[in-house]
Amino acid sequence: MSYQYAVIGAGVSGITCALTLARSGQKVALIEQAPRTAPLLRGFSRHGVHFDTGFHYTGGLGPGEPLELFLSYLGVGDRIETFCFDEQGFDLFRCDDPAFEFSFPIGFANLREQLVASFPAEREAIDSYLDQVAAACNAMPYLNLEAELSQESLLQRVIGPSLREVLDRLTGNELLKSLLSVHSLLYGVSSREVPFTLHAAIAGSYYQSVRGIRGGGLSLARAFDARLAELGVTVLCSRQATGIELSPGGAVSGVRLADGELVPCTAAIATVHPQLLLDLVPEGAFRPVYRKRLASLEETVSAVLCFATCDKPMPGLSGSNRFYVPDTAAMDELGGRTVGNGALYLSAAYRDGDPVPAGFIGICPALYSEAAAWESRRGKRPTGYAGYKEEALERLTTQIARVYPELSGHIGSIEASTPLTVRDYCATPLGGLYGVKHMVGQYNPQPATRVPGLFLSGQAVASPGVMGAVLSGLVTCGTLLGHDRIRKELKGCC
Amino acid sequence: MTDQEIVAKINSALAEEFEYDLAAMTPETTLFEDMGLDSLDVVDLVIVLETAFSMKVREEEAIRKIRTLGDIHEFVIAKKRQLEGDR
Repeated sequence: MSYQYAVIGAGVSGITCALTLARSGQKVALIEQAPRTAPLLRGFSRHGVHFDTGFHYTGGLGPGEPLELFLSYLGVGDRIETFCFDEQGFDLFRCDDPAFEFSFPIGFANLREQLVASFPAEREAIDSYLDQVAAACNAMPYLNLEAELSQESLLQRVIGPSLREVLDRLTGNELLKSLLSVHSLLYGVSSREVPFTLHAAIAGSYYQSVRGIRGGGLSLARAFDARLAELGVTVLCSRQATGIELSPGGAVSGVRLADGELVPCTAAIATVHPQLLLDLVPEGAFRPVYRKRLASLEETVSAVLCFATCDKPMPGLSGSNRFYVPDTAAMDELGGRTVGNGALYLSAAYRDGDPVPAGFIGICPALYSEAAAWESRRGKRPTGYAGYKEEALERLTTQIARVYPELSGHIGSIEASTPLTVRDYCATPLGGLYGVKHMVGQYNPQPATRVPGLFLSGQAVASPGVMGAVLSGLVTCGTLLGHDRIRKELKGCC
Repeated sequence: MTDQEIVAKINSALAEEFEYDLAAMTPETTLFEDMGLDSLDVVDLVIVLETAFSMKVREEEAIRKIRTLGDIHEFVIAKKRQLEGDR
């Protein structure tokens, strides 16, 4: 069987591409090396508690907002049930030095009010920051369907300014800067590196509204599966793509799988990490400069994570996440501190069908280099790795007990994952939580390549997170089918 | 660095990174017709220049107007002079 499109990677971007192309009548094959689609989005269960790994909460999913619109366009909006996070505090920020706590309320106006209440002398800086965030959000052609559809400036993100540069111009208050940089964990790039426009698009969507999905990312993954089946997409799971085959003329002719089978197609969309793409295309297909560019893209921060069940329901974790920083410099050094001494993020985990949290996920940004000594293939970790992992978990647990003592007495079971686990499950060569960085000074790839019929998607292309991944898929399909057409169809779903 | 050295460095970097014949490169060589570059390659062109001369290229308008190898030579020479003047 021959396909118009073969999509490599059934993560959120790949699924978005497959659904968008299929709904326009194209014949699509979706190739995934894991046994199920969207493994990261699906998460996993331990002792009856479901732990989300790829989705914890999102902006843009409120009525009429971009992600809600995108999911409705993809035909999955009415298959999931969303809920609003705590209006008074969707993220609870805490700093030890100086001692400070802040609850991020939902809505720009509420956030403005609360920030000014905490930093009365910074009113002007706060107003200007929030205005700039809102303006940057409104200028994004897919986040705002009315925004002008000019080709996004070639150098816009690369030139900057960075979030830190914008904040430095506005205020000298390090605590306020740290507070406004705390959401850098949502894209894995420090405030000194992240382009302000990217920060604004992501953080701004959370300032506007914050929602979760009942049943977590797994519910969304199931909704995607149902829609893929409905639209007749051929889903090939447990099938690893090992090569993109080209015709004598140099155009894409098929995707070779690990078992030797060829999936014939006239175009391929690779949603894999850009560095892994280099192994899929014939040596001479890309120019040396492009190969080097993809190979040298910097990776987002990695993390040590813990997954804990609690021996009693934890209503206090409901509807709010916890962000902890020991001091105001911690967010600038994303991942730069040893586990247990840096920033910490906690999010609730639930038993199936129970709205009261029964556990939590802890995320501590960490550098891949910390775990690189035990680098090996999945399932065959060398001696010493278990000890490293145990020590990392011990340090993380100690930090959680110190920072959030109300939790520590109630931990039933707890397990850890390391940057190596992230590398294997996210298929990012250096364990980046969000693949490659979007950073000032770095040129990320665009959807089109010089190989006829080969296109890229995935968070490297547009932006990270579930919304970023959907957006990346739509931007790639816009390149294929016409941005005006996709935007018009999206408007039709409003 | 003399203008001649700058031109030689630009040509050799582009020949290597875009797999073009160095001997065939003249100031009149057009990027799009002769060298086969397209709009997608513009980013990589900028990266080659940034790497070869350890500088940041931020002149988006000027880059968009570049058509020939000679345009690149002129652009880089002017930029180098400007950077030296800033020191």
